[in-house]
Amino acid sequence: MIDIAGILMSNMSYLILITLGGALISWSVHFVPVGGAPAAMAQATGIGTGTVQLAAGAGLTGLVTAGAMMQVTDNMALIIASGAVGAMIMISVTMMVGALVYTYGVGCPPASAKVKYDPITKDRQDLYVSQGTEGHGLPTVSFVSGVIGGALGGFGGAVIYYSLMSIENGLPLVDLVGIASVFAVGIFFVNSVIPSYNIGGTIEGFHDPKFKRFPKAVISSLIATFVCAILAVLSIGGL
Amino acid sequence: MSAGGSGAAAEAIPQNKIIAFGVLGGIIGIYAAYFLVDMVGQYMSFIGALGAICGIIWGAAAVRRVASYGLGTGVPSIGILALGMGILAATFGLSVGGVAGPIIALITAALFGLLIGVLANKILKMGIPIMEIAMTEIATAGTITIIGLAIAMTGTFDFAIVLKQVISTGYIAVIFIAGGLAILHPFNANLGPDEKQDRTLIVALEKGALAMVVAGIVASINEGASGSLTILIGLALWYIGFSGYYERVKRDAYVVVGSGQLPTKEELE
Repeated sequence: MIDIAGILMSNMSYLILITLGGALISWSVHFVPVGGAPAAMAQATGIGTGTVQLAAGAGLTGLVTAGAMMQVTDNMALIIASGAVGAMIMISVTMMVGALVYTYGVGCPPASAKVKYDPITKDRQDLYVSQGTEGHGLPTVSFVSGVIGGALGGFGGAVIYYSLMSIENGLPLVDLVGIASVFAVGIFFVNSVIPSYNIGGTIEGFHDPKFKRFPKAVISSLIATFVCAILAVLSIGGL
Repeated sequence: MSAGGSGAAAEAIPQNKIIAFGVLGGIIGIYAAYFLVDMVGQYMSFIGALGAICGIIWGAAAVRRVASYGLGTGVPSIGILALGMGILAATFGLSVGGVAGPIIALITAALFGLLIGVLANKILKMGIPIMEIAMTEIATAGTITIIGLAIAMTGTFDFAIVLKQVISTGYIAVIFIAGGLAILHPFNANLGPDEKQDRTLIVALEKGALAMVVAGIVASINEGASGSLTILIGLALWYIGFSGYYERVKRDAYVVVGSGQLPTKEELE
């Protein structure tokens, strides 16, 4: 059997980093303007798909960019910045194409139903919300919020990936990359579903009243990710 | 009746029987494949995929039960969560457990699922009465699915081989998506006021068979497992699943009529 206490003690810093990374991902999901099925029909503000799909799309891109950076440098700051930028680009492109489709395809102006004035541009919102909808499209504040969410999510994902790759083990690099990616993806998915239950599937961004609920999801994610981190450290450290 | 959000779902087959079917079928499938591949021959690796299908049907039944309370996020999230928890537990169990790996993985998954269920109800206050038990079931079913499909691909659950042939090569992503879809899609496709348990579960069989075919294709390039029998049995099960689903659709629908061909340009003018 493997030396459980020894592995956990020698990797304590990575254990904590993974846990914090998971909590960051959980927080980041609250920034992303997720509209779910109603937004797909332009009846709610946000991108027309679920939290998990968006978080996974942006987060996995962050993992890929972090992994690519890891090939050329060991500098933790560069790797994490690369992950954050990758996720930001991915979520921005998604929101940009979504905004184009809502504006020129569906033909509705971007408008938020949760606030009367856009907190960033100070534009009036409520006049442009169609009757019977919860807003539509992606107003500026949602876009900015989404980019912040992408940055935090990519940051968290890259921290997790970096920590997993740094655990001492006897694996060849190609297998280590494989198992670290699998654990990073697993942790990412768990931490994107927990906040999506917290916000009930839809949120417009940091100006949405639901945003105030984030401490509950972050606490849940801290606990859940800590368990994930123990599993991951024991598996990788024991090989 | 179980339109998403209306409360507990009606069940023709009690959940306890499905749990027993999933756990026993899954474990027997996994271990039978492991030992029979050594004793009889590589082509016995298909039994692992049968075990995975048992897990998939159980997972779909559990998703159906919990999602009928209305999660607020759509059904796919819970399927992704199942495989997310499953992949952590499966990798952990196989890497530390040796021959007992699958059992350790299942116990880990059950505990982890219970933790997520308790967090969802106690901290997130989702207020779904069966959340704890359902999460436990879903995590365990996801783990069985992953280990079963991995065995169908490699013929063993020895972690060194699984790591080399499934995880490092990236086929784990195929397992993730094919297995996750098989667990989340049945209820997602059938939900509504006239949802029936047997119609939902037969879709799980059909999707599980598709995952089995995919596992067979992967197995054909791996040394330890043989793909042809897995693909053939998978196709046969898919046919049973698909025709069974079509029959139940016809049974439950008020009327099934053909729409005919689309009118041609001349006819429209």
